[in-house]
Amino acid sequence: MELLYKNIDEPGLNTIAVYESHGGYQSLRKALAMDRADLIQELESSELRGRGGAGFSMGKKASFLPKDKMDKYLVCNADESEPGTFKDRELMQKNPHQLIEGLIIGAHAASANCAFIYIRGEYDYVADILDAAVAEARAAGYLGDNILGTDQSLSLVVHRGAGAYICGEETALLDSLEGKRGNPRLKPPFPANQGLYQGPTLINNVETLSNLSHIVRMGAKAWSELGVKNSSGTKVVSISGNVQRPGNYEIELGIKSRDLIYGLAGGPPDGREVKFWFPGGSSAPILTAEHLDLPYDFDSMAGAGSMLGSGAIIVIDDSVPVVDVALKLATFYRNESCGKCTPCREGTNWTVHMLERIDSGEATPMDLDIMASVQEHITDHCLCVLGDSMAMPISSMIKYFRPEFESHIEAARHRNDLGAPPSPHPVEAVGSAAAGPYTSVA
Amino acid sequence: MPRPEQKMVTFTLDGREVSAIENSMLVDGAKCVDVEIPVFCYDAKLGQPVGACRMCLVEVEGINKLQTACSTPIREGMVVNTESDRVKESQRAVVEFLLINHPLDCPVCDKGGECPLQDITFGWGGGTSRFIEPKRHFQKPLALSPLIAIDRERCILCYRCVRFSQEVSEDYQLILSERGAHSFVSTFDGHPYVAPFSANIVELCPVGALTSQAYRFRARPWDVEGSGSICTLCPAQCNVTLTVRDERVLRVLGRDHDEVDDGWLCDKGRFAYQAMHVGERITEPLLRDGGELRPVSWERALQSAISGLTKAAGRTGAVVGGETTNEEAFLLQRLMREGLDSPDLDSRPGGALALDLHRALADPALSATVVDIEFAHAVLVLDCEPVDDAPILDLRIRKGVRRKGVKLAVASSRPSSLDANATLSLRFAPGAGEALVAALDAALSGTGDVDGLAASAGADVDQVRELAALLSEAGEDVVVLWGERLAHGPRGDHAVRGLLNVASRLKLASADGAGLLEIPSGANGRGLRESGLLSNAGPGLGEPGREGRDTPAIGAALAAGDLTAVYLMHCDPVRDFQDRGLWNRALSKATTVVAHAGYLTEGLIEHATVIFPAEAYAEKEGTFTHPDGRIQRLRPAISHARGVRPEWQVLATICKAAGLEMTFHTVPMVFRALVDAVPFYADLTLDEIGGRGMRWQQTAAAANLPTASDRAPYQLTAPPAALTPNGSLRLGTYRSIWAGSEVAVSPALKFLIPHQQVELSPDDAKRIGVGHGDRVEVTYDGAAVNAQVTLRAAVPTGTVFLAEATDSQPANLLTNGEPRLVEVRPA
Repeated sequence: MELLYKNIDEPGLNTIAVYESHGGYQSLRKALAMDRADLIQELESSELRGRGGAGFSMGKKASFLPKDKMDKYLVCNADESEPGTFKDRELMQKNPHQLIEGLIIGAHAASANCAFIYIRGEYDYVADILDAAVAEARAAGYLGDNILGTDQSLSLVVHRGAGAYICGEETALLDSLEGKRGNPRLKPPFPANQGLYQGPTLINNVETLSNLSHIVRMGAKAWSELGVKNSSGTKVVSISGNVQRPGNYEIELGIKSRDLIYGLAGGPPDGREVKFWFPGGSSAPILTAEHLDLPYDFDSMAGAGSMLGSGAIIVIDDSVPVVDVALKLATFYRNESCGKCTPCREGTNWTVHMLERIDSGEATPMDLDIMASVQEHITDHCLCVLGDSMAMPISSMIKYFRPEFESHIEAARHRNDLGAPPSPHPVEAVGSAAAGPYTSVA
Repeated sequence: MPRPEQKMVTFTLDGREVSAIENSMLVDGAKCVDVEIPVFCYDAKLGQPVGACRMCLVEVEGINKLQTACSTPIREGMVVNTESDRVKESQRAVVEFLLINHPLDCPVCDKGGECPLQDITFGWGGGTSRFIEPKRHFQKPLALSPLIAIDRERCILCYRCVRFSQEVSEDYQLILSERGAHSFVSTFDGHPYVAPFSANIVELCPVGALTSQAYRFRARPWDVEGSGSICTLCPAQCNVTLTVRDERVLRVLGRDHDEVDDGWLCDKGRFAYQAMHVGERITEPLLRDGGELRPVSWERALQSAISGLTKAAGRTGAVVGGETTNEEAFLLQRLMREGLDSPDLDSRPGGALALDLHRALADPALSATVVDIEFAHAVLVLDCEPVDDAPILDLRIRKGVRRKGVKLAVASSRPSSLDANATLSLRFAPGAGEALVAALDAALSGTGDVDGLAASAGADVDQVRELAALLSEAGEDVVVLWGERLAHGPRGDHAVRGLLNVASRLKLASADGAGLLEIPSGANGRGLRESGLLSNAGPGLGEPGREGRDTPAIGAALAAGDLTAVYLMHCDPVRDFQDRGLWNRALSKATTVVAHAGYLTEGLIEHATVIFPAEAYAEKEGTFTHPDGRIQRLRPAISHARGVRPEWQVLATICKAAGLEMTFHTVPMVFRALVDAVPFYADLTLDEIGGRGMRWQQTAAAANLPTASDRAPYQLTAPPAALTPNGSLRLGTYRSIWAGSEVAVSPALKFLIPHQQVELSPDDAKRIGVGHGDRVEVTYDGAAVNAQVTLRAAVPTGTVFLAEATDSQPANLLTNGEPRLVEVRPA
């Protein structure tokens, strides 16, 4: 069933006239007529989980905002920078009003009077489309003071980021939006209490907000019947990597992963097998071909030790060495680490160094142990999740493909003519050879 | 905001029940039971924790992930574990991460031996590293500024220095450049980090990345001893630890006292120790002989001083500077009053204030403390510039505004560095403080001619009304931080009456956290007054017996020949006071000029008859009184430089020669006599003052303060109107934090010596036809100051500012303590 992607390729859908001809902004009217508490209740009972990666209940998050009268903010996170994820781009590019309508509904639920769409700088052309759509919506009276005669007022600004992965982290995004360097903040306080300019702030992903008009239109109950338990609704899945038909697909959560990768995306090129796949963007621990029969939903992915994340599936087939993927991935996160907290700053850098040695054959199997332990030391010890985003997939690669890492080292060592492998215990080796007439003190 | 009430809660730490302040951070709570949780980025002084270094991870029951103890507030019933395997492993991991890029150059690192990274590595680290890749390299060391060297290889990127610059001193210069593993600390465009408080980052740095250029390679921690004392270079009297090696002071560190300095020092206090060990210092008595000052024996110098002073008995004056201790002040006033029968003595450069007003100002109910600034509803900075006059208070005000929501109002003639933080900044004509407080009084009371008074002050009447509204509506705790300058000049009494009226309208006496806090012009200004160094008051603000001449009158009397000898204790009137011309005449006319001085300054070179070497503050013993009434002890850290004698002994010797009975063998004995003479000091003992000081207002004896006979509100007389700048300009002056001999002779600080500059508004500069950097001549009645123009947009049109006590062309060539109009023209 298509909700977000309905009519997606219809020319002109990005204009308000075409959008309204399909019933656009009717949900907004319905939502504005609803009491705020009822609207939040509706969102909570829809069991919509955030589509940005963390999968937290959207309605619950909106309910955390204080109820007192003060300036509150709604920020749409359009800094879609997770490798493999490109769903928000298409949603904004082709159907910006769906996002704007959802955003106004979300602002009404949170009683926010000031909203921002923080879009990554690389999506400059998409930001132009959004700007035009926002102007249309404002002219139509959907934005500004007293929207459609109600007491809900909302200003909406499209803000272009300067291009940093870390600015997709919600608190770094807020710092960046305030004009500071985009570094994550310590939590608590959470943005719901102290966010943008220290005010209560609701932050949601583009896809999450785009869903709101459909929930209001269909009613929470009907909407939540889509998908499976704990993973209701539809999800736009970006499939990329070694597949024949990469692209965005809107699915009901809970369909079999194999149907996604082989059915919708056509599977790897002929003669190739799925070696492993990232079920939720490059920061999700990898799964292997064994896991292809799992249903694609939040709980099943978590149960298999990974996560649904942003719903971006990257498929890697058996032509690709795991070391290549690991090195590219680690290098990406090393380059994007903001440097604020120790484990991420130092750990990502160290991991890249070790992977480079593994790739060139200068490593020993002991380096794999060290690397695995470094990943453990990063995981859960950082200020934000960027460190974990490298550590978790790298850990899982070592877990599933350790023999390949070892043979990769061996092959590279021979190829590069590096001689015998260094001893894993250099001191002992020297000690035993040079022992001669001496005996150990111990 | 008023101080929050502290509630004690009980939580469990490593299986022990611990009682701690609710919502204080776990790291601090753990210290209550001697559990140390290692930290790098956290320092309570820096404000909100950032949780960046991840060293302090601990287990909190009920929370899955390890939590940073630096940012986890303590709550009732919390169960915390700092010793589990999981915690220990995370600590080992973070130490290993931090050491990845840290060079192992501890043997040649200044920090070695007193390095938190070393300590934590030994205490919590794993002992080995598995990192075999190349470390990152930077050129090292680089000069971050003339005072600070930066070694980026040693930096562990804890953010402390950057946060200090951004959130404490608010000079916004330090940042982290680049990101991730390539991050490094720098200034935005690579210019040197020069700011009044810059070197605090050296002390904050938990590794050897930031080192003091002056201290680099001078000693290792095991070569030195620390000696606690206070800094006497300004009224802020910060608590310091002097690092001593072989009877030389090599370094000054903060000795955190949150009721005095909050743990910070200014760069002057931190580096001016060098002035103790330079060739320029006077270390033997000097006597004018054949027109020149020549070193002589102590006996001869004392003999000359005694004979000169006793010959002029009854016609001797004494003028005292701020670095004099209470004990010296007490002896000197006895010498003058009892030994030489001369009531002409003063420690106020701007002239006397009525004794009754001194008593009214000293009222404990009306006195604010330094901490009150931080927790007030509103603070008014009146006619002073904290960063120049008592630098560390500038940081306290910034803290109050930034972290506690204090509403700040600034009322000054010269643009203030606090303007950017102020809710309201008001400008008035230089010297028109009296009219300004009168206008404020009228606005607060709702009676009187606010418009007329504001016009007399050269201030905007709407702003005066806004200020009145801000102060009366902010809340009950209002602190007025005011400069002694307000009370200078012949109409000082009237200005202070106006100020006391304002205080009474705002009911400052009835609120605990409210009051007045005066920044005196001398470091121990308050102590000198309370010890009896006033022309119109004896010790303890008592009746003086016979009223004498105040500072300007002593100058005039010397010039007129009515006085023939003068005792200059730690001051050079030619350099420090208004009206240079008068003081040059006065001192040249005097037959005997006895001085205590550390360095030869122009007035002394020209006029002194006998100069006794002054003790450096690290050599000195005695007490100082902080502007908020805290008596603090000055403790000797090093022995006297060869040839220098304790000054109290010099005074005692002269007292004895003048016929006084002197039974003192030690400074504490003089202190005892002082306490006996000052009724409101009666409860103080040196033991109780100890290392933290004690406010006399908090002792029972405070009730012995003589009460003022007349109380606010006073009937004010019409203040004189500010001069109209009719083509000419109003002259305002200021004294830079960097003015003074200590800065001029300290090698590290020489680059900061202030040179005269003519601060003009762009409008006036355009009218006169000069631009930034042009040379101009500022003239008054034939006298002239010649210097370069500095354009400042914030300078009010019609006013020109000149610096006092500069190395050449000082402002007092043109001033006499009363408002003046000067001509400015291209030179």
